Amino acid sequence: MNKGSCRAGEALIRFSKVDLSFSDRKILEAIDLEIMRGEIVCLVGPSGCGKTTALRIATGLLAPTGGGVAFDGAPILGPRRDVAIVFQDYGKALLPWRTAAGNVSLALEAVGTPRAERAARIDALLAKVGLPHHADKYPSQMSGGMQQRLQIARCLAQEPAALMMDEPFGALDAMTRQELQDEMLQIVRTTGATVLFVTHDLEEAIYVGDRVIGLLPHPGRIGIELKIDLPRPRDQIATREDPEFLRLRRELYEFIKSAER
Amino acid sequence: MKALLWRLASLAVTAGFVAIWQIVADFKLVSPVFLPGPDRAWAALVHGMVASNLATKLAGTIEHMLEGWLVASIAGVVLGALIGSSRFMRAYVGPTLEFLRPLPASAVIPLAIAIFGFSPAMALGVIAFGAIWPMLLSTVHGFAAVEPRLYEVARALHLSRWQVIAKIALPSALPDILAGLRLGLTVALILAVVCEMIAGLDGLGQWVLLAARYFRSPDLFAGVILLGALGFVGALALDIAERRLLVWRAPTNSP
Repeated sequence: MNKGSCRAGEALIRFSKVDLSFSDRKILEAIDLEIMRGEIVCLVGPSGCGKTTALRIATGLLAPTGGGVAFDGAPILGPRRDVAIVFQDYGKALLPWRTAAGNVSLALEAVGTPRAERAARIDALLAKVGLPHHADKYPSQMSGGMQQRLQIARCLAQEPAALMMDEPFGALDAMTRQELQDEMLQIVRTTGATVLFVTHDLEEAIYVGDRVIGLLPHPGRIGIELKIDLPRPRDQIATREDPEFLRLRRELYEFIKSAER
Repeated sequence: MKALLWRLASLAVTAGFVAIWQIVADFKLVSPVFLPGPDRAWAALVHGMVASNLATKLAGTIEHMLEGWLVASIAGVVLGALIGSSRFMRAYVGPTLEFLRPLPASAVIPLAIAIFGFSPAMALGVIAFGAIWPMLLSTVHGFAAVEPRLYEVARALHLSRWQVIAKIALPSALPDILAGLRLGLTVALILAVVCEMIAGLDGLGQWVLLAARYFRSPDLFAGVILLGALGFVGALALDIAERRLLVWRAPTNSP
């Protein structure tokens, strides 16, 4: 059931011996991680373990102090257009003075899509994230879930090979979060994008991931790696009741508990 | 409907104020030498417009105000954008700005006269100097307060420097800039009048001053009424512009 099987064994994103320190404080130490094409890898860990920092390094927004990250074989020196970032604080990542259509348009303007083609692309993207009738709304007129959908639509406008998601659903209520998990998985399945997904919600990590990496804090380093072989498409009820899901959940909870100690 | 009622109420207040003024004048509670009734002030206004050169004076004041305001606005927004978008510039230039800012613009008039003489250039310089501060400081603030996350979005999308300014920083700073423009317009009007009074430039300032010297109080009031109306129209125009430009700030159905 592994999606990346067509080009299995080929890493799209490769962390090699990534270190990061601020002055004398070590944030990350010797992170080695390979993310295969089409794979969904989740990063979890107690707060302060550097999971968001690791994601920011993978996006190129932050440079490591040691080691490096390669994307498709080339070292990452800065943000790439084909790597889209979904920020947790959607309210800050959207342009409040632009409508939903205008916010998606920003990404199209950035890649130089001709004006005549934009409207159709925007309509298609908004429909894809379930916002087909909200093109003229401003972010301030939308709920949190809708705003996050909008941010995802803008990211998809970049036609990304990889999505970097930093606790994307952390600020949403439980129902909306589950809806968006399923929609995200659906979108990823159709686009075949590779996903690095940071979350503090262990069940969410198991539910969406092909693999879950648990980080240990002070300094942040990889402590556990779980392969998630649950059948896809995942289902909010069936998957979460699967004995394998429960076993993985127990293992991950025990890891986090020991990591926090 | 409700808005209409509010508007009617505010009109009633204005009418009441004019009525009280008329009563005070009719009963000579204040000497008519100093306080003409609204009837006499209005007659002087109409007469000045038709038979005298009040219209020219009004045009002069509008010209001084708008020219100075325009120069101050462009310079203020451009400089403010440069300073506001760079942390180093803010640190280097900040203290100098804080020294210059509280200087009363009227205090630089003698200096401006020494440099430009009693000329329109002097007025332009003084008005621009006085009106630039609200513009400059609000623009600096607007550019400095752009959400850092948006700069990361810009980096992720590979926006050029120019695109970042045009698509992110400027619209984000727009509410602050508009507030600065509004304050600047008020300052420009005040300084236009002061310059006309001091330098004898053609304008309502000169008209009002001369009317006061010759005890022609109806003419004086006609000038003051025009100045008030000028300020009112200016603020109204900016109000409309602001409402157009900042639609996104007034959500019709917030979540």
